[in-house]
Amino acid sequence: MRTLYESAPRKRVKILVPIFGFWFLVIIGRLVEFQLFEHGRLKAEARQQTRDEVEVWARRGSILDRNGRTLATSLPASSVYLQPGEDETVEENVDKVRRLGTLLGLTDAEEARAIKQVRNGADFIYIKKRADPEVEDAVKKLGFDGIGFEPTTVRAYPQGTLAAHVLGWLNDEGKGGAGLEYAFDDLLAGKPGSQVILRDARGRRFETQTLLEAQPGEDLVLNLDSTIQYRAEVELERGLRESGGTWGTVVVMSPDGEVLALANRPAYDPNNGAPEKQELWRNIAIKFNFEPGSTFKIVTVAAAVENGRVGFDQTFDCREGSLVAGGTVISDHKRFGLLSFAEVFSESSNVGTALVARRLGPRVLYDEILKFGFGQRTGIEFAAEEAGLVHPLERWNKKSSLEHVAIGYEVMATAAQVLQAINVFATRGRLVRPRIVQIPATTERTAGLPAERQILDSRPVEEIVRRVLTRVVEEGTGLPARLDGFTVAGKTGTAQKNLGAGLGYSSTEHQASFAGFVPAEDPVFSMVVIIDSPRGELQYGGQVAAPIFRRIAEAILQYLRIPPRPRAGTEPILVEPAIEERP
Amino acid sequence: MVRKSWTTREIALAAAFTLVLLAMLTLYIWYQAESVRLNYETYRLKGLIATLREDIRKLEAEKSRLLSLDRVEGTARNELGLTDPQPGQIIYEKPPAGARKKTP
Repeated sequence: MRTLYESAPRKRVKILVPIFGFWFLVIIGRLVEFQLFEHGRLKAEARQQTRDEVEVWARRGSILDRNGRTLATSLPASSVYLQPGEDETVEENVDKVRRLGTLLGLTDAEEARAIKQVRNGADFIYIKKRADPEVEDAVKKLGFDGIGFEPTTVRAYPQGTLAAHVLGWLNDEGKGGAGLEYAFDDLLAGKPGSQVILRDARGRRFETQTLLEAQPGEDLVLNLDSTIQYRAEVELERGLRESGGTWGTVVVMSPDGEVLALANRPAYDPNNGAPEKQELWRNIAIKFNFEPGSTFKIVTVAAAVENGRVGFDQTFDCREGSLVAGGTVISDHKRFGLLSFAEVFSESSNVGTALVARRLGPRVLYDEILKFGFGQRTGIEFAAEEAGLVHPLERWNKKSSLEHVAIGYEVMATAAQVLQAINVFATRGRLVRPRIVQIPATTERTAGLPAERQILDSRPVEEIVRRVLTRVVEEGTGLPARLDGFTVAGKTGTAQKNLGAGLGYSSTEHQASFAGFVPAEDPVFSMVVIIDSPRGELQYGGQVAAPIFRRIAEAILQYLRIPPRPRAGTEPILVEPAIEERP
Repeated sequence: MVRKSWTTREIALAAAFTLVLLAMLTLYIWYQAESVRLNYETYRLKGLIATLREDIRKLEAEKSRLLSLDRVEGTARNELGLTDPQPGQIIYEKPPAGARKKTP
């Protein structure tokens, strides 16, 4: 008998064809099943295994000062999370949290929060948000199940507390919580995109397809100069320490409105997110309304000179040292004699100012106040700026408000408004809007706001600067603001604090202020300094705020390399400029 | 059954056709493999660029932190013993003729 291999080809074919035919039918059957009946499920499974659709976060824009120094930037970080397994006990997961806590440097509060979530049966727990991405390897080495990493960013403020109230902070969701981070959140945040990542059979990523391009946030360039900001903060801190004050604020602005420094104390470190003490949140310079006291007299001076109701040659009898207005007593800090119009303001006589105001009448003073921008927001780019408070004329007490308002009471203002007002004299009569953001030049917040408007003629302004404001510093209450080689113009203020609830004014608590500009004849910057509740013997604006003004002004003038005016025996050394450009 | 014998020309043509087919197949496979390899390489380099960009930002932030005025002043005063200059020690540059007012 012949074997199969020995049989004729036709016989072999007869055997093999049904076998192969059946095999092909099985394959075709499976293909039909895959293609027609299980197509949807298998396609979805295949996509899941080979494609990842992920959100691409948009890089948040940086905040830079006018010289390109980084004030805030976003760096890559990694959030570490835990997904407890169903077969694990609570104690096993608590142990994981404790061991991770040591590795990740969790605070006691953070660790306690995570453990509480584990014990409550949460199925997703953030162990540490925004950790350094370099800890990932160390965590992976622990070999824990259920530990995952989520790429994210951390906001870094490399200059620490510098300009903290200007910058603000980011909240846990990565949104601006205060300051410019909040006011410009949309611009800084950008828009997230999405990507499809294709993987091969071994799970390796081999191609990325962008579905929607992420739009990185725009950088914000400020007018702020970090050197001037730093000097302002250092001197404010020192002034506050020496005077024992509760808080203080300094704002420095170029005459054309560029805010060069805005400092508040006490401050906080935005690297730590929102400060625990809510009283630290407030940007005092724009969000604190106070009765400005004597610095407000610059409005009264302007009204008097502009309307021609009072001449510089007129004198006022201030010998009594006090004056009664509607049952309230307005008094001077010391008894003066007959004071000229200029002396009334350089000596900051309340009685003299009230007498000047009586010659003006309430309507003239009220109109002048509004012209100087009090009672309206300055338009600086922060959110929720306070507008101060100017009562409508019909609500003024006919017997006393005129005198009180003329000396800076019954009216509320922010530091930014006082600065804007003194800057009118540095610009020959222009009311200039303070601008802290340089780029973008116009935003939703500032669109339509005029950058400046002429509110006074230049001639009376020049006369006020020359005959009143420089005199305040040369021989009046602002003497401690005097700088060798420069003419300083300014006005001091010492306002008694309103106790509220109809209790009247405190005789021991004051707000000391000084607002001025340098050099008086060709100003480079204007500045306001306010110290709240100074303790001890020195409480007047001239004693507390004016020295801070002088120290900051001196530092700024040196920084800007502006030589002092030559004086006998103290001429500055001048050399030819170096050829190469300085950084 | 009569089997047709192949001429040398036909065998040569078939061989040439097979060779061309093999060459094209090889080229196609090489092209596909190279595309995949380049995709891997591109993906790796994109990742590297992103990492380097982040490194630059990190370094810039670190530079900014190290040059923060608070730190520089602390080093100058405490470690180097520097002090503020006295008025006579400050030398100013003469402003160039026709120079505009100096602003920040």
